Amino acid sequence: MSEKWKEEDWAQGVWYSGKVTRRRVVGWGGGAIGALMLVPAPWRAAFGQAKPYKIGAINPLSGAGAAGGKTALVGVQMAVDRINAMGGVNGRPIELIVADDESKPDVGRRKTSKLVDEDQIDAHVGGFLSNICLACMPVWEEAKIVNMISVCLDTTLTTTKCNRYSFRVHDYAPAQAVAFAPYLIKSLGKKWHIAYADYSWGQSTRDAYAQEIKKAGGEIVETTGIPLGTADMTPFLSKVTGQFDGLLGIFFGKDGVTIGNQAYDLGLTKRYKWAGDGAIAESTNLPALGNKIEGFVGINRYIPIQEGPFNTPEHKKFFDESKARLAKIDPSGPLPDRYVQSNYEAMNALRVGMEKSKFRGREDTMKLIEALEGLQMKLSDDFPTGDKLLRKDDHQAFPLQVIFEIKDGKHRIIETIPGDKTLFPPACKFAST
Amino acid sequence: MELTAILYSIPWDQILIQTINGIVTGMILALIASGLTLIFGIMDVVNFAHGELFMLGAYIGVIVLATTGNFWLALLIATLVVALLGAAIQIVTLRPLLGRDPLTTILATFGVSLILQNYALWQFGPVARKIQEPFTGHFTLFYLEYPWYRLVIAGLSAAIIGGFWLFLKHGKYGIWIRATTQDRVMAQAMGIPVPWVHTAAFAIGAGMAAASGVLFGPLVGVNHTMGLDWVLKAFIVVVVGGMGNLGGSIAAAIFISLLEAYAAIWVSPAQAVIVSFIVLILTLLFRPTGLFVPTPK
Repeated sequence: MSEKWKEEDWAQGVWYSGKVTRRRVVGWGGGAIGALMLVPAPWRAAFGQAKPYKIGAINPLSGAGAAGGKTALVGVQMAVDRINAMGGVNGRPIELIVADDESKPDVGRRKTSKLVDEDQIDAHVGGFLSNICLACMPVWEEAKIVNMISVCLDTTLTTTKCNRYSFRVHDYAPAQAVAFAPYLIKSLGKKWHIAYADYSWGQSTRDAYAQEIKKAGGEIVETTGIPLGTADMTPFLSKVTGQFDGLLGIFFGKDGVTIGNQAYDLGLTKRYKWAGDGAIAESTNLPALGNKIEGFVGINRYIPIQEGPFNTPEHKKFFDESKARLAKIDPSGPLPDRYVQSNYEAMNALRVGMEKSKFRGREDTMKLIEALEGLQMKLSDDFPTGDKLLRKDDHQAFPLQVIFEIKDGKHRIIETIPGDKTLFPPACKFAST
Repeated sequence: MELTAILYSIPWDQILIQTINGIVTGMILALIASGLTLIFGIMDVVNFAHGELFMLGAYIGVIVLATTGNFWLALLIATLVVALLGAAIQIVTLRPLLGRDPLTTILATFGVSLILQNYALWQFGPVARKIQEPFTGHFTLFYLEYPWYRLVIAGLSAAIIGGFWLFLKHGKYGIWIRATTQDRVMAQAMGIPVPWVHTAAFAIGAGMAAASGVLFGPLVGVNHTMGLDWVLKAFIVVVVGGMGNLGGSIAAAIFISLLEAYAAIWVSPAQAVIVSFIVLILTLLFRPTGLFVPTPK
């Protein structure tokens, strides 16, 4: 076998007679790429020549926020695949154009402009880190493109910095605080120390909790801001001392893992009641927290269990499919998190709006906005976590809130608060459009 | 009377707690920075992939720990595997660039860092992993329950650095490394295989990064960006300690960590972080060769 093949005619012809030249390799390569481009995308087979809607999706797929960005993308992709499988929107397929903001606001803004100018998208579903959402808001407004915010929680996105083109189909900090503060005061204690991720989302959430805890008869003893991405929080946590009842953490992603581990290591979670934003104990964080997160009480719009309000066929279908898709991007097989859920539902809300308004493209943006304003989302395969209203005044939704505890490494529901009990007065004034 | 009042006003408990915090953080930083400074000292390569070698070490630690259940074995195997990987990276990407503009090596290591980071995300997925610490005891430190494991990290880091220092001082190959650091041309003339010394130095640096990744993993959870959080500070330490000066880097790591820890007593810890940047700027302005480099006589 060894080298004999080189002596055969075909090998002589190909390799030793000057037939393979750099020019030919480049030529063949170009031809192959061209042929690949001509192969129809899956939706072309189903929809013939129907022009697809172009929907942009910006998420952090690299850098500090990549872990959450990847699961967020699973949610929006799952919704798009389902919509296309059901016949698309108004008989046209959806083409998802994915962009990576690299977890940096400047890159996010640049990629947003690219989606608007070069890719000519019709609408956008995405946004993960609040500072990037804030940086991109003016671009959507200027380009007059509907922006369905799918993860960012910063309060100001739908209050002081709101605009007519942006919608948030999930909750925000003031609503969470309205739902959680009475429980904190009634069941865990009156005096609280807030530790928070020191950037736009953490700061606005801190303010919302401070306000609601005071309103519920409690007191904020002190607050500790910890910069985003701090690997060793011990110098910060070593200063958390004094007479108070509970430590309230406002963190997400890997910072949630860090505070969960290090607050436990220093004995803070034993000395004080330990509560906070549900993102600390997100399903994707639980493996890295192990038993150190036991007893944590949190609030979230979504937890991956099939009990209480999530014990429905619609949620089971969503849960099973997202779990299967997540297993493809992570061999540990994580359960769905709130980022999968809100991206899935944001895309579906956009679809409902597009159908209701008979949306054709950017020229119908105002009709789409009108269709989305005041949208009532009912429990269905589109909205598997239940009913919610997309308020007209500020484009803010009010989903169900779940207060939970981590027990034996799993989420256990303590209390559920319907979305209409978490209402917070609108604080948005749209500029005239 | 005034002296007593001043003494009473000093938060002694905070000072002791932050001293321990500073030393622990300083020793982890020293372990990371000593690998970085070794690579720079011997090869003039600023290794931007150092944080990713730290992260890969932690991931390999997770795999070995899951398979064997033995933390110490995980520490050893992760160190050896990443050292071998470091040798391969040096041979494939840096050796061909030897003698070229330093910018090319910066770009090469930056490229390697992006590849390793995205490989980890693709291979291990977005979910953070856990390295279970080998023991979970605590001792009471004023109002805190301080974990013994943090002190063990500091002790082990010191032991690894100490062992490395002995190797450099007395080992045959350690002397080769020192000779190459001092004068590459003369070392080659004396028969030292300089290209292989470069490879060995890069491998040792990578192994030290991996060891620190496994040691620190239990405190933070393992994820694909965990190296980024340390590498910037390690670069500051290397510059302040004197580029390529091992002893200087260790001293600078402890010095900067203690300064930050003490500053955290009186100002917000977020503001205390600025201290390291102030030290960096002052060093570059007034003593660019490094704070801990002896003044030439």
